[in-house]
Amino acid sequence: MSTFDIILQQLINGLLIGSFYSLVALGYSMVYGIIMLLNFAHGDIYMAGAFVAFVMLAVVSPVLGAGWLGIVAAMIASMFLVGLLGVFIQRVAYRPMLGAPRLSILITAIGVSLVLYNSVMAITDGEFQAFTTDLGFAGVDVGSVHITYTQIILVVATAILMISLNWFISKTMYGKAMRAIALDKDACRLMGINVNKIIALTFFVGSSLAAAAGTMAGVYYGSIHFFMGFVIGLKAFTAAVIGGIGSIPGAMIGGLVLGLLEAAGTQLPFIGSEWKDVFAFGLLILLLVFRPTGILGKTEIERM
Amino acid sequence: MKKVFLLALVIGLMSLAVFGCGNQPPASDDQQSGENDQAEEQTGEQASFDGELKIGIMVPTTGSEATYGKDMENAIQIAVDEINAEGGILGKKVVTTTGDAACDPQMATAAASKLVSSDVTAVVGGYCSGATLPTLSIYGDANVPLVIPAANSTKLIPNNPGNAFMINGTGAHQAQKATALFERLGAEKIAIVHQGDGYSEDLAKITNDVWEEDGHEVVAFEVVNKGEQDFSSLVTNVRSKSPDLLYWTAYYADGGMLIKQLRQGGYEGEIVVGDGSNSPKLMEIAGNAAEGVYVTSNPLVEYLPAAKKFMEDYKARFNNDPGPYSALSYDGLYLLADAIERAGSTDKEAIIKALAETEGLEGLAGKVSFTEDNVLAESNFVVLQAKGGSWTNAE
Repeated sequence: MSTFDIILQQLINGLLIGSFYSLVALGYSMVYGIIMLLNFAHGDIYMAGAFVAFVMLAVVSPVLGAGWLGIVAAMIASMFLVGLLGVFIQRVAYRPMLGAPRLSILITAIGVSLVLYNSVMAITDGEFQAFTTDLGFAGVDVGSVHITYTQIILVVATAILMISLNWFISKTMYGKAMRAIALDKDACRLMGINVNKIIALTFFVGSSLAAAAGTMAGVYYGSIHFFMGFVIGLKAFTAAVIGGIGSIPGAMIGGLVLGLLEAAGTQLPFIGSEWKDVFAFGLLILLLVFRPTGILGKTEIERM
Repeated sequence: MKKVFLLALVIGLMSLAVFGCGNQPPASDDQQSGENDQAEEQTGEQASFDGELKIGIMVPTTGSEATYGKDMENAIQIAVDEINAEGGILGKKVVTTTGDAACDPQMATAAASKLVSSDVTAVVGGYCSGATLPTLSIYGDANVPLVIPAANSTKLIPNNPGNAFMINGTGAHQAQKATALFERLGAEKIAIVHQGDGYSEDLAKITNDVWEEDGHEVVAFEVVNKGEQDFSSLVTNVRSKSPDLLYWTAYYADGGMLIKQLRQGGYEGEIVVGDGSNSPKLMEIAGNAAEGVYVTSNPLVEYLPAAKKFMEDYKARFNNDPGPYSALSYDGLYLLADAIERAGSTDKEAIIKALAETEGLEGLAGKVSFTEDNVLAESNFVVLQAKGGSWTNAE
């Protein structure tokens, strides 16, 4: 492989892992923006999304097959069901805590995370499940760089989801209500906005995106397990902070930046790929030193 | 209204907890310590045994390696039942108690302390070397005899206080088998990938040394971080150095994903995996990409003529394949039974002495004798290849 091929390949790698980070980071950012909660259960929502899609694919594959048609159907079903799960969690665990000090609700989020992944662990006996699909490795070759159609479709699907989200937030009444609540909850109540309903909607959308990412990860990597949300949850949270937590475009950019930095980290001369996280996170800490609010974050006082 | 709601939530959570316990196999009490012991004692009173002999089992029953751990626990249970049906050890009924090592050093330390404090006579267990390592001193301090059926890192040897006995071949045995295979496949430049834990790093380093000593080249020596799913950057890195062969020394779950991504990324060389990846799940996860992959493995039950009856019993009882370490786990309990019988008492010192003196005990997986380091004297690794979704002998 020539140097150019390596750079191109690593760009593609970074873009792909970055799109997973972005999709999950969006959920963190939306929820933080609207109720200032760091939803640490979000990584487990991603995991739940992968498992629901796994079950759904088994349900639909006799009719639709385990190719793209079946996968898309399973993904949509998973997005809907996990969206409802997000709303349910919000209703049961977070809404009663909205008036409590912010640390209490943070701990609640950690509790929700434990309940989610331990439940899945109990159901699956802690075992890895093989996410089997009919997708092959066919694709296009650019020099010695091989890009599979699966990779292309995943990046395109992520882009579509993000563009739709942007449209939803900026153009619809619901999006407007979300942005208004992020600014001032009490004023929204006075204006006749059903604040609880909009918060529930935010959880629905955020959880759906995480479910989409979970499904795509299952399809792409071929295996799912109860702990798969942990590492990506941490990284997506980092991505959200990098982009400026609370900012939607920030989460998208943050995810891609983190993905690309990690890919770059594996190519460092003299030290092995085991240092890629150190490299990526070191640079991110530097960035936060000079720009504590993240790339697109606004300067605000009194935030956690 | 709010109180009713809370109450419902609490009841819901509690029922979830009960459901979780109900799912455990009958012999394990990894989380709810004590409950099962009592149950076993009650049933034990019906038979005519001269007291009980408590053996600890330390395997991962949760986490990424839970599949293997449960196979091992089941195999030991079969041996226990056979021994009890023959009148037990020294006339005592064998009972077991399980500690969940979870393939995690902290969990394993807790499990070992729990087993020691529940006063076991001896312990069979140790799957992940990284998790087994810190438990050696715990068993050593309590002078509890420990038979290790799977963990085989050479790091365990210098840290063995003298009470632990390894009946699986070590990394050195495996590295020799692996490099012999690499040469047979005509490889010159190889890449080695491990996962940074005790077992896989150890095997990777020994293989690296043996390969370079033989005058060949290791072009990439890489590590992946545990829990990560995306290895694409690593794949690119490996491909850019164009090795003839890649050796993955860690476990099946990540191994399956790595193989899939290697083929997806256009890597065309040979792929060989270590015994930690010896699972049908590897092929399930990697799909077609696993075709032709070699594994250096300890002997599978399927290839052991002596294990035919064991395999049938296992399948009939657990409705599942026995997995790669069940024969050794089964042998481990018989080894212990043999040593205790020869020692003539449940004195721990005497059992350890008897274990060290074991000479050519016939097990399912071959003869068991020990070197001065309490390591299996004769290696028993074999080479298998993935063909059409199952492992076939490639010796």
